[in-house]
Amino acid sequence: MNKVSETKQEGRVLNKKDIWRAMRRHYLAISTYNYDSGFAATLVWELFPALSKIYKDDPDGLQASIDNQFKFYNCNPWMSPIITGATLAIEEKGKTKSLEAVQDLKTALMGPFSGIGDALIWVLFPTVLGAIAASMGKHGNSIGMWIYFAVYFLFFFLRSFLYKVGYESGASLMTSMSDQLSALTDAVSVLGIAVIGAIVPSTVNFQLALKFSQAGVSITGQQILDQIMPGLLPVTLTGLLYWMLRKGRKMTTLILMVIVIAMIGAALGILKA
Amino acid sequence: MGFSIWQIILVTVIAYIQRLDFETTQIVPMNYMFWSCVVGAILGDFQMGLVVGATIQLMSLGVAALGGSSAPDYAVAGIISTAVAIGTGKGMAAGLALGVPVGMICIQLDVLLKILNSFITNRAHELADKRQYRKMRMLIPVMTALMPLESAVPVFVAVLFGKTVVNSILNFMPTWFTVGLNVASGMLPAVGMAMLLSYMPLKKYGYWLLVGFALSAYLKMPVLGVALIGVAGAIPTFMNYSNASNGSQTSAAANGLTQEDMEDE
Repeated sequence: MNKVSETKQEGRVLNKKDIWRAMRRHYLAISTYNYDSGFAATLVWELFPALSKIYKDDPDGLQASIDNQFKFYNCNPWMSPIITGATLAIEEKGKTKSLEAVQDLKTALMGPFSGIGDALIWVLFPTVLGAIAASMGKHGNSIGMWIYFAVYFLFFFLRSFLYKVGYESGASLMTSMSDQLSALTDAVSVLGIAVIGAIVPSTVNFQLALKFSQAGVSITGQQILDQIMPGLLPVTLTGLLYWMLRKGRKMTTLILMVIVIAMIGAALGILKA
Repeated sequence: MGFSIWQIILVTVIAYIQRLDFETTQIVPMNYMFWSCVVGAILGDFQMGLVVGATIQLMSLGVAALGGSSAPDYAVAGIISTAVAIGTGKGMAAGLALGVPVGMICIQLDVLLKILNSFITNRAHELADKRQYRKMRMLIPVMTALMPLESAVPVFVAVLFGKTVVNSILNFMPTWFTVGLNVASGMLPAVGMAMLLSYMPLKKYGYWLLVGFALSAYLKMPVLGVALIGVAGAIPTFMNYSNASNGSQTSAAANGLTQEDMEDE
């Protein structure tokens, strides 16, 4: 694939080193995030050496191109290399005529690609690996934590290849790939949902502290609940919070609400850890 | 706290590196246990770091700052909790009493720094318009250097003044507050679970919740075991999906998922 694209495309001015350099520079990632232009500044910094090579004899073109890159851009940083790699390939061929195409491609792809990156790299893997690591760590076993560490270390190396994938495939491969990726996202969400079902009763951990004594037999409220269903309280609380999220409540509101409920419940002697 | 100057500096540097890694390379992202363990090792009690980190990790499960939103800084919570737990010798509860609130306060710092980034980016844009590219290229990484301060500064302050603060909190604290904090740390993972569920295509695959729940609650199966069964379930899903050459259906489903994602941000 590499050889084919190098011989086929004569308009190329960038060599492997330039791509590698842009890839390294993309690690500025979300550190430049702000509320009006996303992390556009990262793209400018990342692409500047490559762009100044593309527009070597055209200072007006360079300025227009950089101005274009300063437009709002926000994407999951793990998926962003594919998009910026592709836009670089387009801009290398089309120069200033391609600026609109570059912008369109960025806006069109950043949503779907973020969805995949967020769901897998930021939510699903941290949850599954974190749940395993934490349940081991609570008993003083650090193996789970090292597995978590190792998996992301591996991902980190794979990430640099995404830049090459994006650059070499240009815009063409994107559409066919997004189908494959959504199949993968769907499959992994099965795994995720099963794991969530398992970690709700095992990690959400609080109990009813009430006691009843009737006819000389004393029974705790928790025992009654456990007879109905184990993990009834965690499931109820999670369901309630899920419903509130769906109603548009903010995450921070929910966190504060839970803390307040816990305090009141503890003060009145209804709840215990 | 009985920490030497070097230990305080090292812990602050760890907090800085942690945030720097999260903002840029993400080699150890959201692995809060790792950072707690590093701090524990520096302060001479790896095992305490591990246990405190595990507790923080549980609280954080499923909570992620998506689409540029801000989430509580659980790494800061873990680092401070570990340092305080070791330094005061009063164990995990004392650590969490300071660490968790400071982690929450970090949300505000995150917002502030992102607003500052706005100004710097606009300035860089102006420089680009004047074709002063050298200055522009020098200015952009300044943001990268500033962002990690949102973790480093709170950690430094907390570790430096932690003991006096924690002792005065502990002296003031009525028992219901400590018990309440324990209850809260047991209840908080539910927030993350709810967040997670709201990203997931529950309408399509919600029944897998029952499988996971029954295995865990009734059969007491460890998470790794449930994950393996989940993988077994994921494989046929992937096969069916990629075999279905029906392109329109695929993209519709993908769009549905992303739209739900957007809603939650």
